[in-house]
Amino acid sequence: MAQTFTAHAVFLDRVWTHWKEYLFLVPGMLIFGTFIIYPMLASQYYSLLQWTGFDSNQVFIGFDNYVALLGDSFFWDAFLRSFVFTAITVPAQLLISLIIAIVLNDRLLRLSALFRTLIFLPVVTPVAVIGIVMAIMLSPFNGPVNIALLDAGFVTRALDFLGDPNLVLPTLAAIYVWKWTGVTMVYWLAALQTVPRELFEAARLDGVRGWQVAVFIILPMIMPFAIVITLISAISALNVFPLIQAMTQGGPFFASEVMEVFIFRTAFAPGGGAVPQLGYASAAGVFFGVAIMVLTILQIVATRHLRSVERSRAV
Amino acid sequence: MTSANGKAIDRRAFLAGTAAFAALGLSGMGRAAAQEFSIGQAAVAATPDGPLRWLDTGDQKALFFKAFFEQYKKARGIDVVYDALPWAEVATVVPLAVRNGTAHDAFVLPLGMPPAFAVSEGWVQPLDDLIPDIETWKAGFPAGTFLEGLNVFDGKTYGLTYTSNRFTSAHVLYNRKYLNDAGFDPEATPLNWDTFREAARKVTENGAGRAYGFILGGAQVNRWGDTVRTLAQMAGGASGDTSIATGIDFRTGEVVYASDAFVGAVELLLALKADGSVFPGDLGINAPQARAMMPQGVAGIILQGPWNIPQWESQNPDFDFGVGPPPAPAGQAPGHVIVGSVGSVANSMFINAKAKNPLFAADVFHYLGTEQGQIEWGNVVGPADAPVFPSAATGSKMSDRSKAALAMLQDVVRVGPNPFARNPRLAEVAKLYKEPTPNLAQTVQGLFSGQISGVKEQLTALTSATNMALDAAFKSAKDAGFEVSRDDFVFANWQPERDYLEADYKAL
Repeated sequence: MAQTFTAHAVFLDRVWTHWKEYLFLVPGMLIFGTFIIYPMLASQYYSLLQWTGFDSNQVFIGFDNYVALLGDSFFWDAFLRSFVFTAITVPAQLLISLIIAIVLNDRLLRLSALFRTLIFLPVVTPVAVIGIVMAIMLSPFNGPVNIALLDAGFVTRALDFLGDPNLVLPTLAAIYVWKWTGVTMVYWLAALQTVPRELFEAARLDGVRGWQVAVFIILPMIMPFAIVITLISAISALNVFPLIQAMTQGGPFFASEVMEVFIFRTAFAPGGGAVPQLGYASAAGVFFGVAIMVLTILQIVATRHLRSVERSRAV
Repeated sequence: MTSANGKAIDRRAFLAGTAAFAALGLSGMGRAAAQEFSIGQAAVAATPDGPLRWLDTGDQKALFFKAFFEQYKKARGIDVVYDALPWAEVATVVPLAVRNGTAHDAFVLPLGMPPAFAVSEGWVQPLDDLIPDIETWKAGFPAGTFLEGLNVFDGKTYGLTYTSNRFTSAHVLYNRKYLNDAGFDPEATPLNWDTFREAARKVTENGAGRAYGFILGGAQVNRWGDTVRTLAQMAGGASGDTSIATGIDFRTGEVVYASDAFVGAVELLLALKADGSVFPGDLGINAPQARAMMPQGVAGIILQGPWNIPQWESQNPDFDFGVGPPPAPAGQAPGHVIVGSVGSVANSMFINAKAKNPLFAADVFHYLGTEQGQIEWGNVVGPADAPVFPSAATGSKMSDRSKAALAMLQDVVRVGPNPFARNPRLAEVAKLYKEPTPNLAQTVQGLFSGQISGVKEQLTALTSATNMALDAAFKSAKDAGFEVSRDDFVFANWQPERDYLEADYKAL
């Protein structure tokens, strides 16, 4: 009790001493609370209700929504699909952007700024525009991609990239990687700036060239950043709603429905006819959020364990 | 680089397609800008309290209202804020705005929400005290537009139903040259299911990879449900299209998705696919994209609505196209497309219960419910959201082809019973109803994509799931004390060949 009181007094004293610093934190905390904490808590509350979201009739049903989710095959399909999508896109995005970043990090490379800009352009292009353009590019009827594949002899008939249930998710993954590689490239470039130039000079003197520099010098130095970049990329890949909603709306027949599209469909019943189920959708959202949090924690624990093992080996 | 069919990539087609939206807007704005609106004197004097705020779903309506409100502002001395949102955003914005007190003065309801919802929740206010001599005004509307339980509750009138619901989103629109070359003239001899399939096959054969018989816009899920429902109704599968009454045959009160009519309709679409007559990549394009591709000559037939007509006439004046009724099976009298109301409930405008400018909103409502207002609406909007007054359609400046299409729809479409008009408490059931997944549209899309199989089996499963969901919703509503029953879906005196009107409800 006495210790708690003492800690409390110390805290208050610290706040009073640094009141200006804490004052500058207030706006950010207000925004964070309004747009992150409040919706999160509200969603958890709504998940315990049977509620359309239209009317004032909110019926408390406890965990019934969660029980219903456990038996909803469309929920589990969307859940799995979200992680499959992440598993496809994140490694590809990391690898491609790393290679590009290593190449563009060469100060002797001409027009590197231009290439960086071009690679970053898809990042700032609106998803709706990408959706329209890609639908034309990938069309099995006179679409340039299919024409190129047919001319090159890779396929004997045009592929329906967005209408074939077996191709739609990989196609969306490829478009996603293309769109967001620029961001990851920027992260890698920032990481590469932390590699001391002296290491490169020393490596050159030792006769290390080309890919050996990347593998033996650069990669070990930027590995700590890789963990953070992977986490950021994975979380982004799990928030792929705009692209999928714009291009396929989760179709054909749910083949590209990921969790966010499932939540949107359930919450707002797009297409009319059905009454929305905001309570049920909130339960799906809470479940998904908890799952991501568990995976994140597992990743952090695993990373710390690996580091401790490496440190003990080094000793 | 050449295409698979030996044709060079058509950049003009690409540019034409992408420029369609801008050009459409410009041409529509041309009609709207040229229109002088007969705004006249306000029936009731009022003082503005801020701007008049109006929310609907835009499209062709936006062309009218943007031009109309420019003149209305000057005539009435009130500023107007007009907002147009897609249906998905209306579904989120309107309920939120009502809850936090920022809703527009006049708004549409989210798609699928029965008006009884909004009335019972206190979202909206009646028009009786806002429109002078409202009964005379209502008498100008076609019989059956205002119905107790639909837009009249406890004798008070809620909502303006100003566009016609007598349409289908799946009638025949075809490339005249392609069909004529294939030996068909649908305007002279309407297509039936057999000739529709044959025509599509012939067009595909003649097209030799450059054109296909049929295009739909299959990425847009609702197209599958609308198309199958329309084809099934033409085959005699008379059933409702409103909320929980969708798929119900009101003669028996039963869900009829597994009937021969519905099964046959789905099998027709699958047969078109098996013939190779469907535009490749149809599952990857939505309805507007499919519509934009028709004038480019990629397909011979599309099943869509009359809103295509003004768009093609203005954007693609060289596109020679024809209009026909939805196909019905050969060898039997064609059925009718059944709709749940005379006027479009989806487009109905309601006045916010807490509106700041209710009299101005009602003033606009009054104008839209006059013969001249309806004609001027028809002049700008055309058949896209046709005026609810049939005489206004014929008296407007819309094209002869548009008028012919609307006349065709007058023959094809019948107004069926609306269970909500009989028992408004069904709104409580609708609140509790959890539509099965997959629903009809999703099921048909899955059958077409090949991800599921067995038409009869899937539709039987859907029927069973729908019945279970309805039973559960009815039970919950009854447990909550509402007097509702599945018998509310049974209208023994319904004859699908004719409109079901107020006298029929009274005769029950």
